Amino acid sequence: MSDLLRVDGLRKSFGGVTAVDDCSLTVAEGTVTALIGPNGSGKTTLFDLITGYRKPDAGRVVFAGRDVTGRSPGPLYRAGLSRTFQQARVFPQLTVVENLVAAAGHRWWHLAAPRVSAADRRRAETLLAEFDLTGDADKIAAELSYGRRKLLEFAALLMSAPRLVLLDEPTAGVNPVLVERMEQHVRSRHAAGVTFLIVEHDLSFVMRLCDPIIVLDAGRPISEGDPDTVQADPRVLDAYLGG
Amino acid sequence: MRAAGMRAAGVVKGGLFVLALAVLPLLGLPHWVLNMLVFVLMFAALSSAWNLVGGLAGYPSLGHAAFFGIGAYAFALLLHRQAELTDGWPPFAWLPAVGVGAALLGVPIAAIAMRTRADVFAIVTITLLFVVQTLAFNLRGLTGGAQGLSFPVAPFPADTFERPFYYVLLALLVLAMLLTYGALRSKVGLALATVRGDEDKARGLGVPVAGVKVLAFAVSVGLTAMVGAVWAYYQVGIIYPQFAVDPLVTIAVVLMAFLGGRGTLWGPVLGAVLLEGGQQYLAYEIGASQFYLIAYAMIFLLIMLALPRGVLPSLAGRLR
Amino acid sequence: MHALVQGLILGVLTGGVYALMASGQTLVFGIMKVVNLAQGALVILGAYLSYQLFVSYGIDPFLAIPVTTAVMFALGVGVHLAFLRPLRREDRAELSLLVTFAVALLIEGVIGVVWSTTRRSINTSYANDSWTVAGYQITVVRFAAFALSAGALGLLILVLHRTRFGRAVRATVQNPESARLLGVRAERVAALGFGLGAATAAAAGAVYGLLYPFNAGSHYDLISLLLSIVVLGGLGSIGGAIAGAMIISVSSAVVASTISPSWAPMTFFVLLLAVLLVRPQGLFGRPA
Repeated sequence: MSDLLRVDGLRKSFGGVTAVDDCSLTVAEGTVTALIGPNGSGKTTLFDLITGYRKPDAGRVVFAGRDVTGRSPGPLYRAGLSRTFQQARVFPQLTVVENLVAAAGHRWWHLAAPRVSAADRRRAETLLAEFDLTGDADKIAAELSYGRRKLLEFAALLMSAPRLVLLDEPTAGVNPVLVERMEQHVRSRHAAGVTFLIVEHDLSFVMRLCDPIIVLDAGRPISEGDPDTVQADPRVLDAYLGG
Repeated sequence: MRAAGMRAAGVVKGGLFVLALAVLPLLGLPHWVLNMLVFVLMFAALSSAWNLVGGLAGYPSLGHAAFFGIGAYAFALLLHRQAELTDGWPPFAWLPAVGVGAALLGVPIAAIAMRTRADVFAIVTITLLFVVQTLAFNLRGLTGGAQGLSFPVAPFPADTFERPFYYVLLALLVLAMLLTYGALRSKVGLALATVRGDEDKARGLGVPVAGVKVLAFAVSVGLTAMVGAVWAYYQVGIIYPQFAVDPLVTIAVVLMAFLGGRGTLWGPVLGAVLLEGGQQYLAYEIGASQFYLIAYAMIFLLIMLALPRGVLPSLAGRLR
Repeated sequence: MHALVQGLILGVLTGGVYALMASGQTLVFGIMKVVNLAQGALVILGAYLSYQLFVSYGIDPFLAIPVTTAVMFALGVGVHLAFLRPLRREDRAELSLLVTFAVALLIEGVIGVVWSTTRRSINTSYANDSWTVAGYQITVVRFAAFALSAGALGLLILVLHRTRFGRAVRATVQNPESARLLGVRAERVAALGFGLGAATAAAAGAVYGLLYPFNAGSHYDLISLLLSIVVLGGLGSIGGAIAGAMIISVSSAVVASTISPSWAPMTFFVLLLAVLLVRPQGLFGRPA
């Protein structure tokens, strides 16, 4: 299995704080890889660096064999690398269908194309059916509950047929029923060939779903392996309990 | 299909609207009514144009009056130098040139000013407004400065003087509304809506954020300049800098869009009808300029605080 | 050469006054993320208040400052409570521009009603005195204005760095969420911050009235200048406001004295665009 994503020596500091410190890791294609670690270990910053929302001070990001260090999120999205945000970000004043269509990664220069064409609608409805959001199709996104907005955010980026999806705390603030649905969707998409890198705090979710698991502490990986190995690693316990 | 039915209804509604407006001047109404209608149309067109960048894109420009003034002066200059340049051409034929010229001027300004957040953008546009006004006063050789710029009076018969302006402004309003309608129903509108909703996320999804913003701005100021040109011609033979480049024009236009509902198709038009009618009434009743200003400001504040979404969206929300 | 240095001197002295006005503006932005388009009108109101105190009671504008600042501090807090606090958070950024502009118009209207539209100026006994230093002219008023502004700015910075209120303000500017968690009452800081902004306008207004003739409509020119300054310097940064004021004031004055006064306003617009081109967040601002 080849490495879909490789991160080499990434570094990012804010003022005096080094959030990501000489971080190197790989994500093999076809895996559901987890990225865990105590608060402040740099996970979201790492996501920001990989997806182009922030520029690294040093290091490289290689996606599908191409060096994409510092490139902006838009082109990366089109190339198949997408992400969700910790606080689910959708377009609040647009309908659910419009949110999906906006994320489809169009060639926008077909400016005169209809806002939501029949073809767009069909694709959106297929996805909505899969995510059991059909009833919400024409609701304004702001009217959805937080958990459903997270599902929407996830569903939307699938419209662009990504190769690698970065999920930033997909279960945070979501009720257990929706957590289970989230897990199912990750599994089914994984079976269809999508690779995942998931940042999570819910360790039982991680242990059920993910392999391998990478543990981050103070901006760099300190352990990696399958769930059992990582659970048994004393350094991981130290990181979570220690100062 | 429901959607096609709605679209047909919309077209019929629009057609009736235009027809009704087209017929009005032929009904022998008194001059002061026609004059008021000319101004209502003018503000409706301006507000619809502003709506493209301030409502659809979510970038509230507070300097549109600068482009109004640029259009006014450009047209006045054209007329001033009539013999050399416009020989044989009917003056209104030059409007598209004014519009395109202003749009082109708007492109670099938008490209720089819209790289920043929306409030910084507003600031840059305000600054542009005052710079243009100051230049209008200072570049005496070009604009005549405070003395004003004079040009040959429009050669239309006195008893139907308002008519040509009325129809040209109606045409501009229809153009503005057609462009808004087209934008709302196309991918451009979706792109603009994402920019308005969450610009960073939109950029992250590959939406050409910079491109659509600049496009919206350029079209908006092009339309605005054309209206300014028509206004200039309507002034009998002379325009002055403090009226051609007037911050109150910007504020009126913005307020109308806000009142009617920014981001909607009919909102700016509704706002213009309500506010321009109200403004004319206020000016008539109160007259003395400073009280007028206070009343205006108070109404303004009331609207902002009570109806932050505007009339049409509030009604739509209640009906849902 | 002489014109250049004279322009420089003029620019620096005037820059101090603008720095004071701009600091109030940028402070309000830093706290509330609100662009206060009424700041220019507040300065002019301050000028009128000083004028009235001078004309009615013979009080020198500099001496009247404690009174005018206190009055306008209260006014600022009042404006915030009446017009800004009622706005919902998601509307606030967009609507505050229009609301503060309406407040500016309101102030302009009230000034016009109370004082009519004739141009005023504060003509103290020393209004026309000047010193000649090394062949360059320095008017007493301008120098005193600069000194006052520098003092007031120093006081402002002291308040921000040495008082509890000041710390609360700085915390809110840097990170509103954390500040709230630490017990800072955001709405209170916002109201007081707006009042502080109005107070700086009062002080600046007193000296502005000594330097230039003014009337109700003068706030338009002022606000566009102030806005350019705070954007250039970086919204929310007081150091930026000072730097921006100096840069714009000096370059405008130099252009006016060496090339022509007509092109001076263009200078600051060009500068603004140039800086935004390279650094959209302004000189000292934080990237979006």
